[in-house]
Amino acid sequence: MLLEVKDLVVNYGGIQALHGISFNVDEGEVVTLIGANGAGKTSTLMSLARLTRPEAPEVRRGDILYNGESILKTEPHELVQNKMMSLVPEGRHIFGNLTVQENLTLATYARKGETSEIEDTEDLVYSLFPRLKERRKQRSESLSGGEQQMLAVGRALMTGATFIMLDEPSMGLAPILMYDMFRALREINKAKNMTILVVEQNAKVALDFASRGYVLDTGEIIAEGSSDVLRNDERVKKAYLGG
Amino acid sequence: MTDIPALAKRNSRLPVSTMAILALFALMVGLTMAGVINKYIQSVLMFIGINIIFSASLNIVNGYMGEFSCGHGGFMAVGAYVSSVLSVILFTENSFTGQPLLPPGSAIFLFPIVIIIGGLVSAVFGLLVAIPSFKTRDDYLAIITIAANFIIVTLINNIGAVGGSRGFMGMKKSLKAMEAVIDLPYMIIWIFIFVVLSIVMIRRLMKSTYGKGISSIRYDETSAEIMSVNTNHMKLVAFMFSSGLAGIAGGLFAHVMGFVNPASFSIFKSTEGLVMVYLGGMGSLSGSVLSAVIFTLMLEALRPLQILKWVLIPLMLILLMQFRPEGLLGNRELSDVFPKLKRIFIRKDSSNG
Repeated sequence: MLLEVKDLVVNYGGIQALHGISFNVDEGEVVTLIGANGAGKTSTLMSLARLTRPEAPEVRRGDILYNGESILKTEPHELVQNKMMSLVPEGRHIFGNLTVQENLTLATYARKGETSEIEDTEDLVYSLFPRLKERRKQRSESLSGGEQQMLAVGRALMTGATFIMLDEPSMGLAPILMYDMFRALREINKAKNMTILVVEQNAKVALDFASRGYVLDTGEIIAEGSSDVLRNDERVKKAYLGG
Repeated sequence: MTDIPALAKRNSRLPVSTMAILALFALMVGLTMAGVINKYIQSVLMFIGINIIFSASLNIVNGYMGEFSCGHGGFMAVGAYVSSVLSVILFTENSFTGQPLLPPGSAIFLFPIVIIIGGLVSAVFGLLVAIPSFKTRDDYLAIITIAANFIIVTLINNIGAVGGSRGFMGMKKSLKAMEAVIDLPYMIIWIFIFVVLSIVMIRRLMKSTYGKGISSIRYDETSAEIMSVNTNHMKLVAFMFSSGLAGIAGGLFAHVMGFVNPASFSIFKSTEGLVMVYLGGMGSLSGSVLSAVIFTLMLEALRPLQILKWVLIPLMLILLMQFRPEGLLGNRELSDVFPKLKRIFIRKDSSNG
């Protein structure tokens, strides 16, 4: 098991956001965590990435195991340095005043002496997202929302991680761009055996994309199973798939 | 790794600029020794140099890293007092140890080391200020650094051994001891050398992959973290480096004046630093140099206005914020604004490398 979350209780801004959730992700798997606004999806991902900023969520109980070892004491930069995981945060957080290429290069900050590997990753990113290649020299804040999202994904790949986590990648994207995005992610999963955990409000797209999922509701996991099972689950249908 | 031009500005260390620096150095020392430039002009030149180190070092934290430190004067005070006391104890007859601890003539070699020790002690103080910056940013960090400035000044005010609020003197005697060995304009020489070293070091750091971690904090701290930048570590580095250089500026200042008192390093000093950084442009090294020159000259030019000067200068700051909030150069460098400079300096560089 690559990632195992055990009975995680997390406080976010003084309020308990997660009331003891457990889930796991296997190597090479594509898993989704679906839920409405405020269900605790972002708190979950931020806890997994171990962000340390003052406003980051705080783990109160439970454990996060990566390959069987707890990462609660691990710093976020160590997770990335060791290529354990890479987060595509909500709202993209790209470096707006840098160009596309600079954003990608900056993501290789910790990959010293891996020149040829970095080139390979860069080729992969540009082949997955040809639009980024066209706009390589453009300041990234001038990209459209969809392109910025591609850049955020590309940047996560550039760290060399084998496990990427995406926080609402479909948010604010036109349907066509959204499908492009998920198609690209599926390609990476197939080609590189990339493990992907995607958090989504758009349950339909997420379940089409992932093979397995969990449903998060006000800080608790209320359903889990393969995408087919969840798609036919009455509660999921009612709450997220429009009847 | 490919270079990131926006993060790390120009690839310099060029023969042309090295020659220009050497020529300027020779010119200044030569004119001083020949007695062509008088004491007043000499002191203005030296203050320009000190202000360049002061504003460029503050630019590391406030410009490149995008934090808001308002207590830079405090670090200058630490460097000034540490190096002054050392210099007086080591090289002159003094009230602490009576006879100088070392032969006074050794000052010609040890003077820069004394200044650097002042900088190192300041860097330790910078470390103490860096720690709260892990937990807080923006306004809160500004308040913490102002508090640190007050604490340092108040502490010195209450240390009787270094004169308390009356100040501390005797550094001129160290200079006399140096001049007794070989008569050279030492302060001009050392200030020039420390200015060049500071600029080269800041530039190299900001250009390096490692230093890009500092700028990434300004752009987006969350992203910096998820791009494997150890933000806490980079803040420590930036604060220590910045305050260490301020300490060096302080040590040089103390030796030019021959006298220091705590009031010279109050919040007003820190404000001068902020004015220079924002005048020049945040994250622009040549902007800091340019604004230090302009600001120092302006202070001198407006001297006849006496107290009115402190109405005029803040007024200029208000106008600057209104009409050019990014400062003279924004976060660009002089060579970006005047491509001609780039042609002279950069093309030579690329043909070499």
